[in-house]
Amino acid sequence: MHYQVDSWGYYMPARSMGSDPMERVAKLASESAVVIFSLSSCCMCHAVKRLFCGLGVNPTVYELDQDPRGKDMETALMRLLGNSQAVPVVFIGGKLIGAMDRVMASHINGTLVPLLKEAGALWL
Amino acid sequence: MNVPTGFIHQEGSAFGFGELEEAIVLQGLNIRNDEAKAPLFTTGRPAATLEMFPSWPMRFKQTPRGSSKSGGGSTDSGSAVNTISSKTENQLEPESPISSKNTTPLDHQQQKQQEMMASDVSRTGASQNQSIAKLPQEKRRGSTSEKQLDAKTLRRLAQNREAARKSRLRKKAYVQQLESSRIKLTQLEQDLQRSRSQGFFLGGCAGAVGNISSGAAIFDMEYSRWLEDDQRHMSELRTGLNAHLSDSDLRIIVDTYISHYDEIFRLKVVAAKADVFHLITGMWTTPAERCFLWMGGFRPSELIKMLISQLDPLTEQQVMGIYSLQHSSQQAEEALTQGLEQLQRSLTDTIAGGPVIDGMQQMAIAIGKLANLEGFVRQADNLRQQTLHQLSRILTVRQAARCFLMIGEYYGRLRALSSLWTSRPRESMMSDEHSCQTTTDLQMVQPSQNHFSEF
Repeated sequence: MHYQVDSWGYYMPARSMGSDPMERVAKLASESAVVIFSLSSCCMCHAVKRLFCGLGVNPTVYELDQDPRGKDMETALMRLLGNSQAVPVVFIGGKLIGAMDRVMASHINGTLVPLLKEAGALWL
Repeated sequence: MNVPTGFIHQEGSAFGFGELEEAIVLQGLNIRNDEAKAPLFTTGRPAATLEMFPSWPMRFKQTPRGSSKSGGGSTDSGSAVNTISSKTENQLEPESPISSKNTTPLDHQQQKQQEMMASDVSRTGASQNQSIAKLPQEKRRGSTSEKQLDAKTLRRLAQNREAARKSRLRKKAYVQQLESSRIKLTQLEQDLQRSRSQGFFLGGCAGAVGNISSGAAIFDMEYSRWLEDDQRHMSELRTGLNAHLSDSDLRIIVDTYISHYDEIFRLKVVAAKADVFHLITGMWTTPAERCFLWMGGFRPSELIKMLISQLDPLTEQQVMGIYSLQHSSQQAEEALTQGLEQLQRSLTDTIAGGPVIDGMQQMAIAIGKLANLEGFVRQADNLRQQTLHQLSRILTVRQAARCFLMIGEYYGRLRALSSLWTSRPRESMMSDEHSCQTTTDLQMVQPSQNHFSEF
C-alpha cells in the first residue's frame, strides 16, 4: 500500500485553481487500479484498507484530512453517495464501487475479485 | 390496668383461654372479688400456648359475622371492652413476619400472660355475658364450696376448650400458609434475579426489567415476535419439503423466509442506532448464543462451516461456491474485526493518554469515537445478510429450504440449551431451599421441551 499525496502543483498547474472537487475525485480515481478515499482517523476506512490488503491488493489511498482540498472533496463524495458519510469510498478501474457495505456485498457475492482482476489489481 | 380493646377476644383463643378459665374456676378457692386480678397474674400456668407468637403484639379484626358489643360493668378490668358474641370468629393478625418462634424474654411472656388473662377476665359474649358477671359469683361460690362445679359450668368449660382447640388449629394453618408464601416469594425473587443477570427476555415486561433502555426494550419485543414468526416459517418450510411441492412453489416459501431474515436485519439497524451496546453485548440473545457472538450477532463463516457437512449432496460447482463464500466471509470478518480493534486503540488513546488537558473535550472526542460502533454492527449485519442471500443463490431451491431449516433448528437448539442451562439444578448456596429449587427447575424445564418437539 502506498500513499500518494496530491501534488497538483507538479501535475496540472493550469487546472490547479478552482477545479471542481468532483472532477478531481474522478481524475484521481482513474489514475490507479484501486483507489480509496479515506480519513486517517476513520476506523471503517482502516477496515476497508485491511480488506484489500488481505486480498493481496495494493490500493492507492487518499487521506482527505491531509489534503488541502480534502474538505471539498468530502462534500462532493457525500453528495455522490447520498450519504452523510463520505468515507471510505472505493473506486476500481476508475469506476465507483461504493462505501463499505457495497464493497462487502460485492465481495460476498463474488463480483469483487473479478473486478480487481479486470482492473489489473490482482493476478492469479 | 387498661387493656387495649384489640386484645380482647374470646373463643378465638389459641392461648388456651378455655383452659385458663377452667384453671381460674378450679382455683376459685383463693379468689376474692376485689383481688380478682392478682391471682390471675400468678396462676403459674405455663405459657406454652402463648409461646407461639410471644414477641408479637396481637391485634384483632372483627369479622363481619356479627359482634355484639355489650360493654358495661361486666368487666372489672376497668377498661372499655369489646364484647364479642361467641359465634364471632376473630382472626389473629400478627404484626410481624413469621420468625423463629423460640425465645422470648420471660418477663415479656408474663406480660402477655397478664394481658391475655386480663382480657379473659373482661371477656363477654352472648352466652358469656353472664360468665363474667358470674365469675365473681363463681369465685365466691368457689371460695365457699370448694371445687363444687355445676353442670352448666362444666359444659361451658368444655365448649371453651373445644373452641380454643379449633382456634389453635386455624392459627396453625394460617401460619403454614404464610410460611409457604414466603418461601415462594424468595424463590421468585431468586429466579427473577437469575434471569435478569443472564439477560433473559421475560416476555411482556421488557420495559420494567433492570436498566434496559427503551430502544433495547422495543427491539427485544420485536425480536421476540420475530422468533415466533420464525417458528411459523420453519414449519412452512418443513411442510413444503415433505409435501414435495414444485420448485416454484417451494421458491416462494424460501424467498419468504429470506425476507423474514431481511426484516430482523432492518430491525437491528434501528436498534443499533438506539442502543448499540444492547446489540454488541448480545443482551438481546440467550447465553449460549452469546458464547458465539461476533459483533452483535452470528459469525457468518462459522454458520457456513456448520452447514457444509449437512448440505450434501452438492455439485462440484456448489462446493466451490460454498467454500469461496466461506473464505470471502472470513476475509470480510477479519477486516471488520481489525477496524474495530483500531477503534478500540483510538478510544484508549483518547481516554487514557497523557496529561489531561481538557477532560470534557477528551470525553466529547471519545463519545464521537464510540458512535462508530454503530457502523461496525451495521456492517456486520450487512455481512450476515449478504451471506444468507448468497447461500440461496448457490443452492437449489430444495437445498436452500433444507439449509434454512437447518439454520433455524440450530439456533432453536442453542436457545433451548440456554433455557436448560439457566434452570439446571445447582447446589451452591441454596441448601435449605434445595427441594423447592428442584421444583422450580422442573417447572422451567417443561416449556423448553417444546424446542425439541420439532426435531
